[in-house]
Amino acid sequence: MEEIKNVIEIKNVSKDYGDFKLDNISFCVPEGSICGFIGQNGAGKTTTIKAVLDVIDIDEGEIFVFGQNIKKDSARLREDIGVVFDEMGFHDFMTGKDINIMMKNIYKNWDENVFFDFLKRFSLPSKKPCGDFSRGMRMKLQIAVAMSHNAKLLIMDEPTSGLDPIVRNEIIQIFGEYVTKKDHSILLSSHITGDIEKIADEVVFIDGGKIVLSGNKDEILKTHEEGKLEDIMLFYINRKN
Amino acid sequence: MKGLIIKDLMCLRKRRITYIYIVVVVLVVSIMFVLSARFGNIALAQRSMMTENGVTDIDVKNLSAFVLSLFMTLSLAMVGDVTAIFWADGKAGFQNVSAIMPVSIEKRVLSKYITISMFFGIGVTTDLLLAFVISMLTDILTFGTILKIIITMASALFIYGAFICLYMFVFGYGKESFAQFSSIMTIIVALVLFNFSKVKRVFVYSFSDKTEVIDVNPIELIMEAIKDHYLMVLISAIVTGVLSYVLSVFIAKRKRGLV
Repeated sequence: MEEIKNVIEIKNVSKDYGDFKLDNISFCVPEGSICGFIGQNGAGKTTTIKAVLDVIDIDEGEIFVFGQNIKKDSARLREDIGVVFDEMGFHDFMTGKDINIMMKNIYKNWDENVFFDFLKRFSLPSKKPCGDFSRGMRMKLQIAVAMSHNAKLLIMDEPTSGLDPIVRNEIIQIFGEYVTKKDHSILLSSHITGDIEKIADEVVFIDGGKIVLSGNKDEILKTHEEGKLEDIMLFYINRKN
Repeated sequence: MKGLIIKDLMCLRKRRITYIYIVVVVLVVSIMFVLSARFGNIALAQRSMMTENGVTDIDVKNLSAFVLSLFMTLSLAMVGDVTAIFWADGKAGFQNVSAIMPVSIEKRVLSKYITISMFFGIGVTTDLLLAFVISMLTDILTFGTILKIIITMASALFIYGAFICLYMFVFGYGKESFAQFSSIMTIIVALVLFNFSKVKRVFVYSFSDKTEVIDVNPIELIMEAIKDHYLMVLISAIVTGVLSYVLSVFIAKRKRGLV
């Protein structure tokens, strides 16, 4: 039987900010899967994602991405990771063409044809400054960037929050297409459980900086009476309170 | 890293027109000044200063050279203000993008210093062209002297730029004014410390009954520093640049995720 590889392995990670603590968390994201990372606002999702990307220092624990310790060579490992954050970080004056020029000089595997295809598919004008884009368009632009350098892993922090249902469904469909390639995986953080329920294979639920629940989505739904991820999430939050 | 430098250049794209405008204005005003200093009202004023106020020919030359140096500095100062890049990065939240790129912190910081050096390269090249034109028209300044002025001014402004970078990493985005103020103060303090005895004399003189004649002429001092110490200023700029880079990397690593 083929051994299941993990693209992300988080082992006993802690990070103390004083007013908030990521408390000894551990979970894995299997290769080829979509892992839904659920939690309320302020539960620790973004902190965990930043730790995985080595954007912040962790106090304790270890994080492995593609089987390698992220601390050792994070810059090289990021070549294979596409990231989408809640807020776009591109300058308002930048057009799609500007972003292409910048990115092809940063990512070794940047494919401008793929990027412009995505812009076309998302109906994003390549000559219009992204400061004039709507929230949905900005999110699509970030997704186009994240998917244009042959990334094997997509890490998304609330990519669907604040978007209308049509755009959300469109984006979710793109994620589904992305993981049809065998070695492609996604870690998708969201507080909108409906989106996770639609596409995730695995689910990790974080609350107050602690992992409350993690495992296969279907098994979790089967073993809990609540029937929906949202209800399961509420059950654990209410139990804590 | 190349992509980050390209992005920095894009941030200053809007300034291109202003820069060209300033260079043209500097060239026109310099030529007008040189011609007036030889044939026009400035020449008349200088002659009357020499006859009535006991001003020497060397003083007049120094004053003219000082004015021309200020003109030359304008085009360099235009490229010297790198806070615009930090301001644009902070406003966009670009740290979220750069932090996830396959570029190490060292290279991310280095890209800023390379951008500054490139700006000064552009500024120095433009100034050299201006210097060539001006030196053809006047004997106030030879091309060699203007070259020394450019080296001194560019080095001084590079030191300012290096401090801006360092302070931006210390204070973080959105604190551009603090970085500018701190850079200027650091340079002033350093200049005072290196010229302590001269500064002390001026300070004491300004609080005395002013019966004593003091031989400290600030313009003469500046021109002397430019002509005689331009290499020292250049070396100081290189040393400051390297130290500022090392410290900036140290701070950027400690403040990961913020800068």
